[in-house]
Amino acid sequence: MSPPFRRVLVANRGEIALRIVRACHEMGMEAVAVYSDVDATAAHVRAADRAVRLGPPAPAESYLRIDALVEAALETGAEAVHPGYGFLSEREAFARAVEEAGLAWVGPPSAVIAALGDKLAARRVARDAGVPHVPGTLDPAPVDRPAEAAALLAEARRVGYPLLVKAAAGGGGRGMRRVASEDELAGALIAGSREAASAFGDGSVYLEREIMPARHVEVQLLGDAAGDVVAIGERDCSTQRRHQKLIEEAPAPGLAEADRRRLHAMAVRMGTAAGLRNAATCEFLLDRDGAFWFLEVNTRLQVEHPVTELVAGLDIVQEQFRLAAGLPLSGRARAAADRAARPASHAVEVRLSAEDPARAFAPTPGRITRWRMPAGPGIRVDTAVEEGDRVPAEYDPLVAKIVVHADDRPAALARLRRALAEAEVGGIQTTLPFHRAILAEPGFADGTALATTWVDTHWDGPRARADAVRAAILAAGLAVLAGEEPVAAGQEAGPDASGAVAAAAPAPGAVGAGGGPDAGTHRWTRGSRAGAWRDGGRAAATDRWPR
Amino acid sequence: MMVPDGDPRALRVGVAPAHRLDGDPSASIAPPPADGAAGGTAPWPDGTDAPGAVARLDGSPVRARLIAVDAARARLEVSRGGSVDRTPVLFGPARLDRARGTTVREVVVDGWRVEVEVEPERRALLRERARRGAGAIGAGGPVEVRAIIPGRVVAVAVEPGDAVEAGQQVLVVEAMKMQNELRAPREGTVERVGVAVGATIEVGDLLVVIR
Repeated sequence: MSPPFRRVLVANRGEIALRIVRACHEMGMEAVAVYSDVDATAAHVRAADRAVRLGPPAPAESYLRIDALVEAALETGAEAVHPGYGFLSEREAFARAVEEAGLAWVGPPSAVIAALGDKLAARRVARDAGVPHVPGTLDPAPVDRPAEAAALLAEARRVGYPLLVKAAAGGGGRGMRRVASEDELAGALIAGSREAASAFGDGSVYLEREIMPARHVEVQLLGDAAGDVVAIGERDCSTQRRHQKLIEEAPAPGLAEADRRRLHAMAVRMGTAAGLRNAATCEFLLDRDGAFWFLEVNTRLQVEHPVTELVAGLDIVQEQFRLAAGLPLSGRARAAADRAARPASHAVEVRLSAEDPARAFAPTPGRITRWRMPAGPGIRVDTAVEEGDRVPAEYDPLVAKIVVHADDRPAALARLRRALAEAEVGGIQTTLPFHRAILAEPGFADGTALATTWVDTHWDGPRARADAVRAAILAAGLAVLAGEEPVAAGQEAGPDASGAVAAAAPAPGAVGAGGGPDAGTHRWTRGSRAGAWRDGGRAAATDRWPR
Repeated sequence: MMVPDGDPRALRVGVAPAHRLDGDPSASIAPPPADGAAGGTAPWPDGTDAPGAVARLDGSPVRARLIAVDAARARLEVSRGGSVDRTPVLFGPARLDRARGTTVREVVVDGWRVEVEVEPERRALLRERARRGAGAIGAGGPVEVRAIIPGRVVAVAVEPGDAVEAGQQVLVVEAMKMQNELRAPREGTVERVGVAVGATIEVGDLLVVIR
């Protein structure tokens, strides 16, 4: 099959830009990258066939510059523009500018972005399509019109507390504030509106009832120019912290086939009502009574699309390119939709981010001095960073998506635990210890911890870090005492004693140097790893200790 | 198996100030006593006899040793209750903290990156004495609020002379697209505001002084 386009401009950075460049190359298309000054030598730039500088690091001066992006596409002879996720991916004005320049927009058309990308407009579409939506307001809150404050207070009382202030243009929790009682409402509206204006250039906010506890379940949709819309599967993204997704999986655990069919049909109804083309995701909350509530539509590729790709057996980005070229839904996409209610495998993704899980997930930009990602059967790592790279402070903290695929959920979780045990990162703090800890939670394995508020109410970062700190202190002191030279490994028991070493190792939950639970030591109890460590230790006995 | 008092080789080890959280422990670590006293060169519970070292970690005695695996990886072994706990450890680069005169080294344990500060025990004791003295004089002195993350200042809620309550928002810093609200660590009067809206800040920059 001939490529849908000859050359494509990838209007993004980081892992998603690299992932799109890869899809271009697999389809026989050339890829044009764009970059800000801090990204001049980034992986997505190196992988592309050509690259165009956009400007200084600040997003407003680089990746958010619609004029510069359209000009770059025209100057390089690109026929299509893929926006990725984040940045301008859901900006109607960008999609329209690309369309008006005579280029193909790889995503839902600007009119659909206008109808669905604005969360308030999407809620009105849901109302008109008869899809149950989360109770709340359907128009922007009058943040700048104090005269209407009384009417807003009355409306907030009707929605009920606690409620959420949400950004109409929002995503990822930005611009969102939880309001427990009436006296917090004004402050939340102002703070939410300011954050929304900064993040999206649109400060419109609205009110929505907080449904709690809830699971976050979303449906991947594809649509073609003939108006056909299909659902190719759902994802569970319940493990969030302050509305930032941390772990995503497909399919959603514990749904019966009938639940899936009902959920997928609601999503298709939303897509059809809005005239969806290309790819979008319809998000729902699942309450404890088993009811789905429409939340919003993301009119773009999602960060977590790989889990659906693995289970559906489909490359969503490649499908996007075909659909953007006006081709009908592929046979592969239709087959995936037919199978979607009876998934035959399971995939899980963790978002490894440059954030400190012991300090309320504060960003930790900086230079990566060590970077080892897992490999082996069933592992996919989508990343654009390498050892020695600097994670810039200007952009999203995501540094890698570690995705596993296996026959069923228990096998996938076992594979993910194995994968996370292999990962090594130095130089910056990442969310790796958080992910290891949550994978060790019985409630995550049996599904009882699947709730959007679980992390906020259960995660105690400083406590989880405490045992690692004790071990780090002892190790650093011992290294100096040894004159920067390790204790000779040859003084250890011989290789035939691997069983004895494993037996002497602490039970899961034991600790390096003090009391309390520790996720750090139990991996050692595995005989196979014990052997590997011993062999390595002998080989390295004469090495200089690192400075 | 206590760290001998006055052992000139003894080390004080703790989390580097910029990485410290409330409640982080510190340890005194010394080589085992040469006379073979209890816990010194006695065999380990697994039958091996690599000497390791004795430590007092937050007041509790610990016997530990380090086994190298390769240039960056090692294994920490801690003897306790008749068994040996083993923890994989990843060593990062070391640097000198010139202001404090200590060596700071990155150690990663179970994904947690800890910057650990090592200095001779005797020096640490001198420093503590000096600090106690200064503390007695400077009690109730100004508190400096410094940046713990790099980013851009998007809002400054206070100006010099303002009275603030503990926990009151003083600044909003945007980093990686998130707005982070900085709050006053205690009540007092704002003496100085070191940044303005739009300023780009680095870790350690002075933001606000509260007296």
